[in-house]
Amino acid sequence: MTARATTVHALHAARPRSRFLRFSAVGVAALVTWAWWAGRFDVADLFSARREANLMRFLEDVRPPALYGKPWDWGVALDWAATMFTSGHQGAAFELPSGWEALRITLAMSIAAIVLAGLVGLVAAFPAARTFATADAFLPGSERSSVARRRAWTALLIGTRGALLFVRSIPEYIWAYLLIGMLGISAWPAVVALALHNAGTLGKLDAETVENLSPRALRALRGAGASREQIAAFAAIPSALSRFLLYFFYRWETCVREATVLGMLGIVSLGYALNEARIRGRYHDMLFYVLMGALLVLIGDLVSAIARRAIRKA
Amino acid sequence: MPKSAAFDLDDVSVHFGNGPALHKVSLSIAPGEAVAFVGPSGAGKTTLLRLLNATLRPAGGCAAVDGRCLGEHTSAELRAVRARIGFVHQDLSLVPNLRVVQNVVAGRLGRMGLFASLRAMALPSHAEAERVHAILERVGIGEKLYERTDTLSGGQQQRVAIARALYQEPTAILADEPVSSVDPARARDTVALLTRISREEGLTLCMSIHNLELAREFFPRVVGLRRGQVMIDAAFADIDDAQFNKLYELTDNELLADGA
Repeated sequence: MTARATTVHALHAARPRSRFLRFSAVGVAALVTWAWWAGRFDVADLFSARREANLMRFLEDVRPPALYGKPWDWGVALDWAATMFTSGHQGAAFELPSGWEALRITLAMSIAAIVLAGLVGLVAAFPAARTFATADAFLPGSERSSVARRRAWTALLIGTRGALLFVRSIPEYIWAYLLIGMLGISAWPAVVALALHNAGTLGKLDAETVENLSPRALRALRGAGASREQIAAFAAIPSALSRFLLYFFYRWETCVREATVLGMLGIVSLGYALNEARIRGRYHDMLFYVLMGALLVLIGDLVSAIARRAIRKA
Repeated sequence: MPKSAAFDLDDVSVHFGNGPALHKVSLSIAPGEAVAFVGPSGAGKTTLLRLLNATLRPAGGCAAVDGRCLGEHTSAELRAVRARIGFVHQDLSLVPNLRVVQNVVAGRLGRMGLFASLRAMALPSHAEAERVHAILERVGIGEKLYERTDTLSGGQQQRVAIARALYQEPTAILADEPVSSVDPARARDTVALLTRISREEGLTLCMSIHNLELAREFFPRVVGLRRGQVMIDAAFADIDDAQFNKLYELTDNELLADGA
């Protein structure tokens, strides 16, 4: 070995190493191997002959009824889609809502829910922010406060955070499932379920935003004798507003998607129509509602992206 | 491939959003020459260096590396040109949480395929480690080979950046204000190091620098820029203080803008 090779070898042997990184890399590899093995995901399962037959039948069934056994014709297919959009399916045995109605209700549910969630989240953000919910807010060590007072603030902080954590730890679907028992089948369980879960998420995101605000302006107002509420209104909300709105629109996008899914519980949104069509074996109608859902999410994403870009520029 | 690069600018203009950044600049830099770019902030020094590094397309004129205008290159050819020009950035542009050896090995990315470079980053071979060590020793920090880059001091990190440029096996080194953020002793050290290595290797060296004393001490030739134009292009010995003062003096407008 040359002198340099020896030196490099010695440096390599003495390199700083992170034991934690090493162990976690091995741990992750082991876990992944175990998950695939324990779950018994057999790749061959995906491609059995019966599945292939099912798939072919499904692909035949998703064609509009007027086109069964005939070559594909865009004109006929679009006519059928237009009818579905304006009037749905009005049969003797059962009815399917029009695409427009399902779309409108889904959208309305998502908007109602996110507005509620946004308001709750905004109000909850301050008692959940460490910088606000302490006895000597913004000016640590500036005042002598009783132990009881300190504990009360800590209790408020932990209580708010705990409540936010609780409502967001339960998925929208489960919330709606529980609420249907209380409120009966209407749009309300879905709206409240979406609002609860998203209030938890937005409250947490908004609280972290408030905590990460540059403390200078807040401290200056506190030094001028302002109360927490005044500081929130005059400094914290204005400087965090664009971020709050970014989160608001981002969560709205997920609300739009989730409002569709919640229909599967029997609430009249797109998901309900989709599920009905599936139960009746009308795969072409089902596909129509699936595409409506995709369209809705696309519109939601577009509106949200435009709004967020405008906010970022403002 | 020539061992050191020649740069020829002919009537080159560059425009950014608000007016010209370089205006009809003509400049020839011979292989192996060492040139200092001086001038006030915003004069176009960085733009000029980016042009020489082929990372900027001129709006007009011809910027040639080794006799061929950059506008004629395909993007693959541009990559090849860039791969042979070492650039030491003002902000160092190192990846802080990689080891020194990985940052230096990255200097050769421009000549490596994706898999070869991933392999070199994850597991540098003995030969690569030794080559990197040799370069690090040259810039004075051989023992830092396997340290995490962000554990090094600012001066040491600057040497890592220089080592990365040298690992490119460059035909020229371009340095953008490499000494603007270090103390005077380290600044002198760094300029001395860059000029010495360039001289020993016969590399063309262009450095933008605010410190005129250092420039005068280490560079035979000075190019003075002001508002995107070459005002001075001469041997240092031929330029007196009055001419430099004129290069840096503020116009009334600039005074007002600064004072506002």
